[in-house]
Amino acid sequence: MKNEWVDTFTGSVRVKAEGKGTERLINACVRNGITVWNVKKHSRDTATFFIKLSDVKRLRHIARQSECKLSFVGRTGLPFFWRRAWRNSGFWLGLFVFIAIMFLLSNIVWNIDIEGAAPETEHQIVRELKRMGVERGAFQFLLDDPETLQKKLTERIHDITWVGVQWEGTSLHFRVVEKEIPKPKQPASPRHLVAKKEAVVADLFVEEGQPLVSVNDYVQKGQLLVSGIIGVEGRTKFVPSTGKVFGETWYKSTVVLPLETTFHVLTGKSIERHYIGIGRFSLPVWGWKKPTFTHTVIEREKRPFRFWKWDLPFYYERVIVREAEAVKRSYTWEEAFAEAKKIARRELQAKLPEEATIRGEKVLHQSKESGKVRVELHYTVIENIAVPQPIVQGD
Amino acid sequence: MMKKWRQQMKRWMTEKLELPADIMMDLPRITMVGQIHIYIENHRGLLAFSDKELRLLLRNGQLLVRGEQFVIKTILPEEILLEGKISQVVYIEEEKR
Repeated sequence: MKNEWVDTFTGSVRVKAEGKGTERLINACVRNGITVWNVKKHSRDTATFFIKLSDVKRLRHIARQSECKLSFVGRTGLPFFWRRAWRNSGFWLGLFVFIAIMFLLSNIVWNIDIEGAAPETEHQIVRELKRMGVERGAFQFLLDDPETLQKKLTERIHDITWVGVQWEGTSLHFRVVEKEIPKPKQPASPRHLVAKKEAVVADLFVEEGQPLVSVNDYVQKGQLLVSGIIGVEGRTKFVPSTGKVFGETWYKSTVVLPLETTFHVLTGKSIERHYIGIGRFSLPVWGWKKPTFTHTVIEREKRPFRFWKWDLPFYYERVIVREAEAVKRSYTWEEAFAEAKKIARRELQAKLPEEATIRGEKVLHQSKESGKVRVELHYTVIENIAVPQPIVQGD
Repeated sequence: MMKKWRQQMKRWMTEKLELPADIMMDLPRITMVGQIHIYIENHRGLLAFSDKELRLLLRNGQLLVRGEQFVIKTILPEEILLEGKISQVVYIEEEKR
């Protein structure tokens, strides 16, 4: 038996022979080494059989000497398939172009809609988005992912508290919650003012209520400073007391600072590379430069390509190689002490409310440890110590 | 290749094993698988073929195969494989002259 699948590569032809002596024709073929298969007789004078495409020429030669009329009724195999595919190349090209356009359009931002923002805020958001490259017609895979967009927007626009970013097909959807500036509320219920912590009263500004302490008084935590009950006995009145009581308070802080620190700083030089990948394999498409950096920080960002509404297994990857530099900082003992004090002050200021001021600073203790300095500091701070406490009106 | 090898084999066997010479006498060798296949070696050409009948030339005489839906699957100078529903295999002897 012969291998029939070989014929699918080389191609085969179905021949129809008409006339007397089809048997003789077949005998002649066989004797001349033409492979013949699937011979069928349809009527007395017609037969069909298959031969190889490469044997067609020889068959013609043999048929000239017989009384049969030949016609080719079928072609199968790869050569014919290619010929047909070539003839239909317009169709294939069209299909390819269609898919390509579809693919391109699927990866474009078609719509940006912003919901829940006032016109000015919306305008601001649109402007900010444009600066980040987010606009109608931009390629989706070149943009930041929704989380980053969200972060950047909330950072850059002060009027919004929260923005939800979501892809809906090819449109980008922003849901905005604007900041509402609260109206100053008038305290309605009667209240006292009490001390937030122990302090020495430095100053008093009482708008309403009965002050119970005076300057230079030492107060405990929770002690009543301004009473909300005014008037002489028998004709008392409850008022919501307001005002500020500045007290001198004390803070202690300890700072440990090493003399030598190394840290990595980006120099600002970077190389971008672009890849297109599938699975774990990625193919570089742009950016061939080899970085000459000794220390690098590598950032990777992967975005899938989309088709219609699905994410394809292909992805676009941007790799940013940034140059890093190791910087060594070293202090002398004196510098370290000074720096430690500065740090302590900065830390304290960050902790305190805005209207508080640091009045005095005293070094309690400073020591040199192995490669480190340790500084203990004491601060006197003037701050508002009054906090409201509602008066519970019983009977 | 197969044929050559087979002929060498035959010669060797008749010489060494002293087999009867009629194996060497160019007689057809027919293999049938049920009714559906018939495989004939050592024929001398196709005489007539239709979907109900196959007539083959042998060295002396003819072989007639009758049945239905005949298709010649393969045909080589000395071999033929026929498919279909075979009902009869008949030898037609040549008249002695």
